[in-house]
Amino acid sequence: MLEDYLNTGIKAVISQFPDVAAILEEYDIGCAPCSVGSCLLKDIVKIHHLSDEDEQALMARIAGVIDPSRPVKAPAIPRSRPAPPQAIAYSPPLRKLVDEHVLIKRLLALIPRVVENLDVESEEGRRLILRTVDFIRSYADKYHHAKEEDILFRYFDENLDILKAMREEHEKARSHVRAVLDALEKGDREEIVEHLNAYRELLSEHIRKEDEILYRWMDRNLSLTQVGGLFSQFTEAEEKIDQGVIEGCKTFIVELEEKAWDSKKER
Amino acid sequence: MFDFRDKKTEPDAPVAEVKSQLRQWPIQLHLISPAAPYYQGADVLLVADCVAYALGSFHMDYLKGKSIAIACPKLDEGQEVYVEKIKSWLDDAKINTLTVLIMQVPCCMGLLNLAKQAAQASERKVPIKSVVVSLQGEILSENWV
Repeated sequence: MLEDYLNTGIKAVISQFPDVAAILEEYDIGCAPCSVGSCLLKDIVKIHHLSDEDEQALMARIAGVIDPSRPVKAPAIPRSRPAPPQAIAYSPPLRKLVDEHVLIKRLLALIPRVVENLDVESEEGRRLILRTVDFIRSYADKYHHAKEEDILFRYFDENLDILKAMREEHEKARSHVRAVLDALEKGDREEIVEHLNAYRELLSEHIRKEDEILYRWMDRNLSLTQVGGLFSQFTEAEEKIDQGVIEGCKTFIVELEEKAWDSKKER
Repeated sequence: MFDFRDKKTEPDAPVAEVKSQLRQWPIQLHLISPAAPYYQGADVLLVADCVAYALGSFHMDYLKGKSIAIACPKLDEGQEVYVEKIKSWLDDAKINTLTVLIMQVPCCMGLLNLAKQAAQASERKVPIKSVVVSLQGEILSENWV
């Protein structure tokens, strides 16, 4: 019965009924590649804010997979094609986080160039890895993830599976960074490449979930007063961080992009 | 000129008394002091004069729990003082948010522009929202500035 699975983690549902992944995908709910997958089926449907018609049709199709002997008739409303992407009107504090994602995504886009021909024996190669790790720790983690964990998530029930999943992904990201440093110590190039690629894959999906789903859901649930409070707490947190470090991170990305561009031209 | 007398309205059913949500006096932007205690850390509404007449649910949907000032960007004089007062809300009263409610008529945009000017000149930033109300009291847009 569908009701029995509403309170089941999505990974467990998909593993028992693999067809559910494809149905969710059709509704732009990308749970299949999620590295955690502990969100409950009912919460996933709620958080994606589908139209009533789409939600009804989605649930009917999932029910049909879970219990084919009792097919539920989906309403005869065709699934509307996704609307063309529009600029999303995030509230100012969540806009700050989305803007910070842009710089992190620029690093993620550069990781294939960082690992390509990486020479861990040379001083230059080692310095490149250390600067990459420094960007991740100073900007992506201390400046950005800390605002989420120490401030934003506290405006919501921290026992929500989606928030637990986000924290868990932050931890996984940190463990990849530690592994990169350990591998650098050992001079193990392959391990560095493996963990940087894994970090790239994890963070790309993590940012997509936050930008497209989590922040939009949060904005729908924050009051005007909470938006003001959040903005002010973010500003305070930013003021406590050395702006020279943040500027250094931005400069690092620009330099790396220029270097990548120059080497592309040389080919 | 527009005449809305043909507009269908709800029948005169008995309704519970609608309580005023106003928590302060004065409210006109020339008369208020940005240092008044009810502006400290508050969610503040800056409202064009006509809005409260057009928007039937103004008290419950917008004014409740907030502090307010009203102004008319078309008719009021001395609007440079307005910019200074709004700036003082941001920098001195450390307001939490500013919501600017205006009518859809072009002249009303001047009030939003005053708020933007003040925000640009202020050292402290806060979330600013603009709400545009139609002549017949519908919310046409609600956007973060």
